[in-house]
Amino acid sequence: MFTIFLLCSTIPEISAVGYPINVWPKPTTFLWTRPQAILLSPNFTFSHPNHPYLTAAVNRYLRQVLTEHHDPLVKPRLNLTSALPLSSLIITITDVTSPLTHGVNESYTLTIPSSGSSNATLSAHTVWGALRGLETFSQLVYSKPSIVASGLYISDVPLFMHRGVVLDTSRNYYPVEDLLRLIKAMSMNKLNVFHWHITDSHSFPLVLPLEPELAGKGAYGEEMKYTAEDVKQVVEFGMEYGVRIVPEIDMPAHTGSWAEAYPEIVTCANMFWWPAEVKWADRFASEPGTGQLNPLNPKTYEVVKNVINDVATMFPDSFYHAGADEILPNCWKVDPLIQTFLSKNGTLSQILEMFVNSTLPHITSLNRTVVYWEDVLLDSSIKVSPSVLPPENVILHTWNNGPNNIKKVVESGYRVIVSSSDFYYLDCGHGGFLGNDSQYDQPPGTDPGNGGSWCEPFKTWQTIYNYDITYGLNETESKLVLGGEVALWSEQADSTVMDPRIWPRASAMAEALWSGNRDETGKNRYAEATDRLNEWRYRMVTRGIGAEPIQPLWCVKNPGMCNTVHPFVS
Amino acid sequence: MDYRNPSFSFFSILTIIFILCSIIIIPQISAVEYPINVWPKPTTFLWPNPIAILLAGNFTISAPNHRYLTPAVNRYLRQVLTEHHLPLVNPPLNLTSASQLNTLTVIVADVTSQLTHGVNESYTITIPSSGSTNAILTAETVWGAIRGLETFSQLVYSNPSRVASGLYISDVPLFVHRGIMLDTSRNYYGVNDLLRLIKAMSMNKLNVFHWHITDSHSFPIVLPSEPELAGKGAYGESMRYTVADVKNVVEFGMEYGVRVVPEIDMPAHTGSWAEAYPEIVTCANMFWWPAESQWPDRLASEPGTGQLNPLHPKTYQVVKNVVHDVATMFRDELYHAGADEVVPNCWKTDPSIQTFLSKNGTLSQILEIFVNTTLPYILSLNRTVVYWEDVLLDANIQVSPSILPPENVILQTWNNGPNNTKKIVDSGYRVIVSSSDYYYLDCGHGDFIGNNSQYNQPPGTPQDDGGSWCGPFKTWQTIYNYDITYGLNEAESKLVLGGEVALWSEQADSTVMDPRIWPRASAMGEALWSGNQDEMGNSRYAEATDRLNEWRYRMVTRGIYAEPIQPLWCVKNPGMCNAVH
Repeated sequence: MFTIFLLCSTIPEISAVGYPINVWPKPTTFLWTRPQAILLSPNFTFSHPNHPYLTAAVNRYLRQVLTEHHDPLVKPRLNLTSALPLSSLIITITDVTSPLTHGVNESYTLTIPSSGSSNATLSAHTVWGALRGLETFSQLVYSKPSIVASGLYISDVPLFMHRGVVLDTSRNYYPVEDLLRLIKAMSMNKLNVFHWHITDSHSFPLVLPLEPELAGKGAYGEEMKYTAEDVKQVVEFGMEYGVRIVPEIDMPAHTGSWAEAYPEIVTCANMFWWPAEVKWADRFASEPGTGQLNPLNPKTYEVVKNVINDVATMFPDSFYHAGADEILPNCWKVDPLIQTFLSKNGTLSQILEMFVNSTLPHITSLNRTVVYWEDVLLDSSIKVSPSVLPPENVILHTWNNGPNNIKKVVESGYRVIVSSSDFYYLDCGHGGFLGNDSQYDQPPGTDPGNGGSWCEPFKTWQTIYNYDITYGLNETESKLVLGGEVALWSEQADSTVMDPRIWPRASAMAEALWSGNRDETGKNRYAEATDRLNEWRYRMVTRGIGAEPIQPLWCVKNPGMCNTVHPFVS
Repeated sequence: MDYRNPSFSFFSILTIIFILCSIIIIPQISAVEYPINVWPKPTTFLWPNPIAILLAGNFTISAPNHRYLTPAVNRYLRQVLTEHHLPLVNPPLNLTSASQLNTLTVIVADVTSQLTHGVNESYTITIPSSGSTNAILTAETVWGAIRGLETFSQLVYSNPSRVASGLYISDVPLFVHRGIMLDTSRNYYGVNDLLRLIKAMSMNKLNVFHWHITDSHSFPIVLPSEPELAGKGAYGESMRYTVADVKNVVEFGMEYGVRVVPEIDMPAHTGSWAEAYPEIVTCANMFWWPAESQWPDRLASEPGTGQLNPLHPKTYQVVKNVVHDVATMFRDELYHAGADEVVPNCWKTDPSIQTFLSKNGTLSQILEIFVNTTLPYILSLNRTVVYWEDVLLDANIQVSPSILPPENVILQTWNNGPNNTKKIVDSGYRVIVSSSDYYYLDCGHGDFIGNNSQYNQPPGTPQDDGGSWCGPFKTWQTIYNYDITYGLNEAESKLVLGGEVALWSEQADSTVMDPRIWPRASAMGEALWSGNQDEMGNSRYAEATDRLNEWRYRMVTRGIYAEPIQPLWCVKNPGMCNAVH
């Protein structure tokens, strides 16, 4: 009844209004005709169907709404209703059996009445939608004693179903508690995929039951491993927060760390990455840390199959990220077997096809959809034919050339996950990490250019927010864009900087992929988003996430005064 | 302790002679890579036969009694016995079979020297390979002794504690002023952050915390004579520095050998004063850059307008109270009085200034009035005044050098790299270098301005340097390699007191303070202490990389969230991450 009442009040463009309290990411529909607030009863409860993960989430949110007592930077101008306190939020779920999987329905509606004589209601198709709605509810609660925004109706559904963060735990190690905090912060931002780039040439931190020597010799150290129990904890924690964990074991390149246990299956391992006498194109790895699996050595597949079996057992998600980026010709060419193959008119692309043909069917046989980096199809020198990559089982993950490569991927009929480095790479902008780099030792007055990391400059939250991942695509093509992932590669990152490198910039993507970066009139809403993001960043900090500030606090307290009203001239 | 004990002297001199003799036959010894290092690299580090010796379980540091040295000694004693640092690369050092090291004896020539600009920070350390003699640290002052204790602590590692031995270090900084500037106005930092900053500075032998306390955005310092400034100008009740807080910071600095130089920026950057005294601030709370005006006609260099009105008598009442209180709360002889970025149009909004200008007065004359009315007062409190270079070099509003006596005034440069450094010393002033192209730690994170369409260009538009005015990000190498006496002759170079890296806080606060500052401030720490070149005069940034990786790691284990500069793999595979092109 209440919902209908709200829906009938015709207030056009209501969600373009600046509300006194906001939800990040901004909901699709947020109707709040007469902004008010209502006290939460000290006996406030959630009533909900029983479900192992929902129950855990409900308990968590109940504790949060009763104890967070958030004090916004700008005090919401909301009168307290004189009605009875709100005593209950009733959660109804259409289908409690839906598993957390790609494409699961995350929509929900939330109604909060201005009178405590009725209950607030949250309805969702799935448990996972209910989790999103609980997060929304928690963001509407503030102050001490707890009060909640009331007289409102929210109907919310994401634009893109895949909204993730890539974290590289190979170049530098992150303890499990960092991963759990990451998942927690993702859930706050309604992000739903933690893409865990577990291994690379630098270290192999994952302990696999069938191949214990890989981590035994390839991890950075005894303390810098993820055990089977650790993984189980991360996966279960993700379930409680509605965040899927997609593992990536990058191969056949980026596998130098495997050579500590199995030198015979890795070509060019532990060689100097770019000798003085060779050209850039002839280097052995795209960056220091050489090594590629040898597709012509049968032993390679013994190890790879054990790895895949273990990883698929440890990670229940239906996606398996199999890497396949940045294969360097010269790393394979140092191997005698490969040299022989090439001398008989074989090509490196054929070698990659052998590798894909010997591994992809095994992964798909485990009921997995395989994600590969776009290189497997788009690399200029070593790539496979689309015929070995069935589009129904394979998703491509783009990172080069912005919208151009997205278009190439979807035009080839593949679904795509977007991590365009010009927009979504969180590590860029801190200069190069190479040692002995003379570019930083030029005479004063030398133009420093863009700063020297390959993907400079730093991607600001606005750069991320404004990126349209379906830019230049027609409607059919756009449907193949599953979503996006911001990526933190860890050459210059570890525990010490994880939070501020990721947040609040990942929040910017989260909103753009959830409800978009435009208002109802189709105008970019980055200006309006600034104040909301300031508040949201502050709330994340109070919730224990070390998100970096985007402006002086003065700007938050003086809305609009830190704006520019001059158009940008490049 | 009795440091005239004859037996002690005899053995220590023998040890030193022994070590010195072994050196003479090893040329370029300090170019050799040592298995354990000290950051910043000491001036002279002689270690002919690298070996290590266990610290005795009852190891002690004997030192003269001194209000600040004694807490430092206690702190370092606890640290060397309990830190048990495990380097990333295990030092290939054999343990001497000799007995354990029992004592480090600290000898200070003059225990009365105050921690002040130019104080002697030199020291020598001798660590014998036999426990039958003591290790010896000699210094001219307690402040040099604190530097030496830090060096000693970095030579200790492992569990149980052992220390590098058979070595002699003689150390003295190239530049007397080695600092960090932190802006606590644009965003607030808790006192704990400031204490941790000072602690980390001391680890890096940095000696000046330049505290840019106030600005247009907030006025967090509670001043007894002018409580309303913070009362109304602070961001909030919980975001203020009380008198007790300041005392805590200053005393903590003394115990760590770090001077605290306060800056109350004026006459510009004072918008926050207007909350308490609107009548003394021009253009306060106006929109910084209206749509109809050109860039030179903006009202402030960035959002947050307001400049003190030099023609209003009330201004000086407030300013004198402020100066008086600040000089009372901060004992350092340097007082930073700001004077940067005075913007013409902010003053021009004021009727009294308009009248002055209409009678052929100039804005520069107005600034001179301000300086002439405030500088003598600060000097009367026995202070040397530091101004930003703008006061002399600004294109529009500047004062005549005649009113800035070089014996009492130091200029801090931030624009145009070596060019402005040279202009300042050519004018006869001492200079502190914070060239933004090298030493600004905030650059490279894009622009903080709201509603900025530059980040909403079609894909494919060049992103250039990313849009912060001083982009790109200054890497640790950029900072390390900067030669702050570039292009100066010897006489001019003597006027260069040193440098400060600066963290302006538009996009920084507690959450990012450590990784924004460290280890990049460490890079300046070494460049200003022992230089950025090896004995052959070659830049040593390549060799410094591995050492900085280890040092960054040690800072992290000591509770400082310094950011990583490379994958751990690079540390474990020395040289393999280099560029050879």
